[in-house]
Amino acid sequence: MKRFTSLLVLALAFALAGWGFAQTYGGVLRVGMQADPVGLDPHITNATSTRNMLENVYDTLVLFDSSLRIVPGLATSWTTSEDGLTWTFDIRQGVTFHDGTPLTADDVAFSIERIKDPATASPRADAFSVLESVVASDDHTVVMTLSSPFSPLLSKLAASLNVIVSRATVEANGDLQAVVNGTGPFRFVEYLPQTRMVLERNADFWGTDAAGNALPYLDGITFTFYPDPTARTTAIQTGNADWIEYVPSADVDLLRADPDVEVVGGLSANFRSLYLNVNHPPFDDVRVRQALAYAIDEQAIVDLALFGTGGVVATGTTVPGANYYGVDANPYLGSDLEKARALLAEAGLADGFEFDIYVTSTYDFLRTPAEVIQANLAAIGVTANIVAEDWSIYLPKALAGDFESTILGESGQSDPDDFLYNVFLTGNSGNLGGFSDATVDALLTQGREVADQEARRAIYLEAQQRILELAPHVFLFHSAQFSALRPNVEGFEHFPNTSYLGFRTTWLEN
Amino acid sequence: MLTYLGRRLLLTLPALFGVALVAFLLMRAIPGDVVTNLVGQAEVTPERLAELRRMFGLDLPVHVQFGQWLGAALQGDLGSSLRTGRSITGDLTLRFPVTLELTLLSLVIALALALPLGIAAALNRGRWPDYAASVFALLGLSVPGFFLGILLILLFSLRLGWLPPAGYIPFTEDPWQNLRHMLLPALSLGLILAAATTRIVRSALLEVLGRDYVRTAKAKGVAPATVVLRHALRNALIPVVTVVGLQFGALLGGAVIIEQVFSLPGVGRFALEGINLRDYPVVQGAVLLIAAAFIVVNLIVDLIYALVDPRVRYG
Repeated sequence: MKRFTSLLVLALAFALAGWGFAQTYGGVLRVGMQADPVGLDPHITNATSTRNMLENVYDTLVLFDSSLRIVPGLATSWTTSEDGLTWTFDIRQGVTFHDGTPLTADDVAFSIERIKDPATASPRADAFSVLESVVASDDHTVVMTLSSPFSPLLSKLAASLNVIVSRATVEANGDLQAVVNGTGPFRFVEYLPQTRMVLERNADFWGTDAAGNALPYLDGITFTFYPDPTARTTAIQTGNADWIEYVPSADVDLLRADPDVEVVGGLSANFRSLYLNVNHPPFDDVRVRQALAYAIDEQAIVDLALFGTGGVVATGTTVPGANYYGVDANPYLGSDLEKARALLAEAGLADGFEFDIYVTSTYDFLRTPAEVIQANLAAIGVTANIVAEDWSIYLPKALAGDFESTILGESGQSDPDDFLYNVFLTGNSGNLGGFSDATVDALLTQGREVADQEARRAIYLEAQQRILELAPHVFLFHSAQFSALRPNVEGFEHFPNTSYLGFRTTWLEN
Repeated sequence: MLTYLGRRLLLTLPALFGVALVAFLLMRAIPGDVVTNLVGQAEVTPERLAELRRMFGLDLPVHVQFGQWLGAALQGDLGSSLRTGRSITGDLTLRFPVTLELTLLSLVIALALALPLGIAAALNRGRWPDYAASVFALLGLSVPGFFLGILLILLFSLRLGWLPPAGYIPFTEDPWQNLRHMLLPALSLGLILAAATTRIVRSALLEVLGRDYVRTAKAKGVAPATVVLRHALRNALIPVVTVVGLQFGALLGGAVIIEQVFSLPGVGRFALEGINLRDYPVVQGAVLLIAAAFIVVNLIVDLIYALVDPRVRYG
């Protein structure tokens, strides 16, 4: 009898322990979004809002996991030829679109062609410029031929606006603004502008969790649009939303203190730099650029301009330090005024100089750091004037390199190539300050051609050391992104590229 | 009366044309355009930018663009959004009822407060009800709407948990939920409108109460309530109708900030989003609708004069 009782207790204990972790099916997740989608056709917009709502309705050929490794998506496996020019993808069998038609290799080839086609006017057409042809060689095989080896191809295919769509749907409707037909875990139900978007569970979804259970767990997702940050914060506090995006950095501590709300997130894939225009003296002198980098206090920017929660100090370059390809060796961290003064004196500017920091007034996180920088530089006798303009006016000028220095960055990247190639290669469109260095160019070009991860890493580490030395940017911080959720929301994973693929494994505890 | 109406309606056409033209030119005078906003920082060749501008018809001379837009607008087609491809006529049809409901609710709240308060203040001039009404009016006139909105959210949503803080449910879908979501924004606008109206009701009524015919009515023994409500108030309403009419027109243009704070999908928020992203046809369509609403409200106000004051006749 005694033995029986202890067995019973043991069994109960196991049952209870298991109960705490078991995923439960059902329930609709009420999500508070900041902004409406910018159109529903994923191929013709770059909007994060469209991506975040539709990436669980559509699928990509390959996927990022939450540590940004590439894992199978609609392609179950792939191989690369010796010369790196031919990529062969095996397409998952038995997958159907939400309208019931089967997915074929032809749909995959069509989708990639559609993004590349100038007539589609996709802002990402140039991402596939290296692609010579995409062919469905049979119903379940797609072959891509490249004009030169391009290892970031997988990252481009995993970018979750480069989704696989149905050829028949596009041909019947002209575009995908009105009809949403994907293969993802949720079906599109309705979209009322500035009110809500409703998704319901796709019972025929191909994905499963680690234990082999069907995904997704949720019966549906309702996105509500709260453009005002206080409205989102209040919605999660009052329980009118189960999950909200973009917790304003000023409210992170407030929500952390609320027992009915959990805050998740942190580092996300982006960088924010002070770009120095090397065509504007004295920034043509590497010593002056280094002097600025030494004088600027990155931690003070995060603490003062970003409330301590809005960002993480850039310990490397544009690649976040925690990334596999990141270097964790920014020599300019903190404020070293002695070194800064010495370098200025060496450059013949012991009495300092005056320059403009051109910023946008639209986004605080790109404007307020300028005030800290201004104060930092005053300490070494350098006068920085802040010039702020509306984003619509600012951006074209900044992209044209029409500034002495500016605070900007890029977001949403997942591949080291995205962080470095466009930003530092001579003449590239993201290289706003006109930086040019033959060694960096050679290394960044080489990084595109090597498929092996470790060899790639070595190349990128060397390139970043060189970039740090030449200081074309003062690397300031990486913006943090926080979401908040009610305690009964389980299984949501924060992706550092800020994608919301985490909803695929989210469940509600009753 | 009908001739008058016809003439007034005809006069609205040049007004609408003027508004449309000014909105069209102003939007294009602001630096920045929709293409740079759409593309953002993506790596895009100048050729593709030119291609996008051509697709949107932005490469044509401005007068040709205006002519094309006007021609379509005359047939009821306001074009489609450059960002989302959605029909603007369709989107405005979705949004106008939201703004209309918000405006009507605020008006009801405003009048329900302002009439009794204004009357009480006028009848008790110089005594505490008058002072109380003055304090209310002063507070209402000095507090910005969005701030009042936030205070109401803090009290009714966060502390008491009675009402949702933001969001919108269509009336046809769930009337009860719709009203619950509309109450706080309507209160934010209504309280402020009530403050201004209270002052007008008080001063207009005071002026009328001093008139000879009111004294006569009192002298011949008409019940005090009848004197105030029937004889005095009716005459005092003319300036009230004017002020409320103007406010009503302005609110129909979309209470931009309140719609933003409470996440309501109204005309104002629609126009604001259009302006931020330089979505020209969206702004033009919204401005045209707002102007038309304003003109119609003014017309209705003129007709109400005739109802309130039988001496006013339009021939």
